[in-house]
Amino acid sequence: MSLAIRKCSSDLLSITKWVVRREYRLLSTLPENIEPANTDVDEKAPRTGRRPRLQNPVLEYRHIYPEFLPDPNPKWRNSLREKLERADMLKRRAKIDIPEFYVGSILAVTVSDPHAQGKTNRFVGICIDRKGCGLRAQFILRNVVDHQGVEVRYDLYDPIIQSIQVLRLEKRLDDELFYLRDALPEYSTFPFDMDPEVLPDGTPVPINDVQVKLKPRPWLERWERQELKGVSNIEEHLKEKDRKRRELRKEPWEKYDLMKQYRRTIPIEEQSEIWGEVYNQLQQMHVSRRKVARKRVLATPKPQLG
Amino acid sequence: MKKPVMYLSSSLFGKLLPRSKRYLSTKEAIERRSHLFNLEKKRQLENVGRIEKIEVNYKGVPKDCTLVMNRNISTPYDCAKHLTQWHTESSVLALLDGTIHWDMHRPLTENCTLELQNFTVSDPHQVNKAFWRSCSLVLGACATVAFKDTVAVKLHSFPGPDIRSGSFIYDIDLPSLPDWKPTQQELHTLSAEYVMLSRKALPIERLEVSEELALEMFVENEHKTKQIPSIARSNANGKVTLYKVDKYVDISKGPMISHTAQIGKVSVTSVHQLVGTPESDVNQLYRFQGVALPTGVVLNHFAYSILIERAKKLNPARSPINPFGEPSHTTHKENIAATA
Amino acid sequence: MNQAEVTKLVSKLRIKIPPKHRKMSSPEGPEGRMNKLRKTVTGLFKYERIELNHNRADEARQYAERLIAEAINHGDCHKPTMEMADYWLLEKELVHKLFKVLVPRYENSNTAYTRMLRAPRPEYSYNTEKTVLELRGNPYPPLHNKQANNRQLLQNILLDAAKYEYRQTKYAEMAENIGKNEQEKPSV
Repeated sequence: MSLAIRKCSSDLLSITKWVVRREYRLLSTLPENIEPANTDVDEKAPRTGRRPRLQNPVLEYRHIYPEFLPDPNPKWRNSLREKLERADMLKRRAKIDIPEFYVGSILAVTVSDPHAQGKTNRFVGICIDRKGCGLRAQFILRNVVDHQGVEVRYDLYDPIIQSIQVLRLEKRLDDELFYLRDALPEYSTFPFDMDPEVLPDGTPVPINDVQVKLKPRPWLERWERQELKGVSNIEEHLKEKDRKRRELRKEPWEKYDLMKQYRRTIPIEEQSEIWGEVYNQLQQMHVSRRKVARKRVLATPKPQLG
Repeated sequence: MKKPVMYLSSSLFGKLLPRSKRYLSTKEAIERRSHLFNLEKKRQLENVGRIEKIEVNYKGVPKDCTLVMNRNISTPYDCAKHLTQWHTESSVLALLDGTIHWDMHRPLTENCTLELQNFTVSDPHQVNKAFWRSCSLVLGACATVAFKDTVAVKLHSFPGPDIRSGSFIYDIDLPSLPDWKPTQQELHTLSAEYVMLSRKALPIERLEVSEELALEMFVENEHKTKQIPSIARSNANGKVTLYKVDKYVDISKGPMISHTAQIGKVSVTSVHQLVGTPESDVNQLYRFQGVALPTGVVLNHFAYSILIERAKKLNPARSPINPFGEPSHTTHKENIAATA
Repeated sequence: MNQAEVTKLVSKLRIKIPPKHRKMSSPEGPEGRMNKLRKTVTGLFKYERIELNHNRADEARQYAERLIAEAINHGDCHKPTMEMADYWLLEKELVHKLFKVLVPRYENSNTAYTRMLRAPRPEYSYNTEKTVLELRGNPYPPLHNKQANNRQLLQNILLDAAKYEYRQTKYAEMAENIGKNEQEKPSV
């Protein structure tokens, strides 16, 4: 199975991804090394002669906890509601461990189910989408069970969730993996008894650069128009007509639309405020959970010896 | 516009009028003075003789430039006309060589640098003083025109401008009205007269004349006649500076604003009686008070009502006939007139 | 509800941003809109003060502000920012101006980088609002003369004096009242 192979992916990465990776190296050592990172920035400043701006290390939390950022649409903004929601989210996070995961990671989620045997239900799958903000944050897991594709959408802060476990922490080349629905089933098949893979401390989150193969058409969406990086055989299934239309539908100016970007993001100043508010609690939870995890790792070998 | 109704029987008028050899009605006196002023101005222009050129370095918006003007003929107003209409309308005073404040209608005498100042310059101290002084001047003209022919109006003097006192004033002698208290209606009429005068956008002309001519022009006004010698003495060249609005001529040291349309919101607020000491030669004067704002100043009606209420109180400026309530002092009196 | 994008970090603009973009009618659609705005932004960077219709000015202003903010944040060694400047500035010498003139000018400013003022409308014209759009710190003489806070202005002198007098009367009244109270107390 191609998914089992985890290559070193440095050759294929684009510049942006490289930048992201560097950020993550900084990020994974975040709890201990915030101040060194800061001084590093200060050293750079006089050399370039430019004011260092976006180097607030707390801002890197936006990748781990994106649901703490509100919807940028001014129609839905309400500072009081956002604050209350953040407080609720922190309360929930104090109860259960919601780990760091990304689209492309493989998760196991256990939920309460009154009709199941043992009153719990465990589902394993690859996260194909993560969206929503605040208490409405949600993610979708996909797996193939008995040759039948299954997708389950979970609310991240749903009280029926008993535990979320990351079996394999990694990212894919795209931000959404809906194309797995039209891909060959082996790309979204994961065994339910997978063992969790533990990454050593301080390593960046690896990016899995596997390129899936799509089934022949019909498809659920026009994948050829979405500029997907994680699909290898899209051109095989296209007709001349599709190629022409793809050319017509291209919007090369969109990436220069500065205001479109602006309207989709939360500015640095607002983010700093938000992260400043939740930083301490998130930090404490992170540190305490790491301690527990270390103890567990040390404790497990003993019964085997005995 | 309705003029103030101030009837007096002719017999009473005759009795109260001080005996003077040459009697002139107020109107005739104004006409005569204006005529003399024009003649003298014409004569002075003719005396200039050969026209010499001077260079005026203009500094300010839209850009610095050099204008070649006529010595003793061209005024800063003429320079402004070379720039834009906005300059002619909004300039209040000219600043020569960065130090001397010059009337807009006073001919330039030498090469100089020229800056035009309006009400919104960063340091409008001198501009404000000129504005307040001009308001007093126009108040005198307005009071002269407002009364009927049967009422003799003898302008006395106005003190130097003090804006913090809250009102500009003119002390006027009304010999035929010994005990006059203006009604609200009459004050409104005076204000309306003032507004009419200011809306005419008349230039305020300046002229320096000799003492004899000044005495000749103010022959029927005994107050001014008394003040003129001391004013002439206090001036370095022994001349008397006259200003003319419309056809009303008055004595003042200046400088004055460019034209009357620069006076915006204005009200004549009150008339107070000043009583003289037994020694002084004038028994009583009327102090006309008003308050005004430059054109273009937008002030909330409430704030303006505060200013009006304050301007209704008697202005604490020294009374020319009873300074500090002490026995009148001739030198004092002359000084006040000289500073006006 | 959607989630905020996290791949890009932007600094907050100091101007009011309408919740939606304007469509700016153009036969070429959204691309035509961008081309129009590029022309305006280029003109603004070139002349530093331009007069145009309000809608277009307001829309172009947002893009100009964003471009300057990006240039300040990333500097001239950042490739995406350079591409962005290359797209928005049709005359290439203006790219140098952006990084070498405008960035040092606005680096430490706490206000918006541009200023938008209403311009007088010609008397017989279409019902369009005219606007003057300018970069702050341009070499031209200022367009507005806001000096209402100058204490030397005539109206301010008059109001200050009135305020002073009012306070003096109040203090005098208070002093009188105190005197009265003291007189009353011994009698009581």
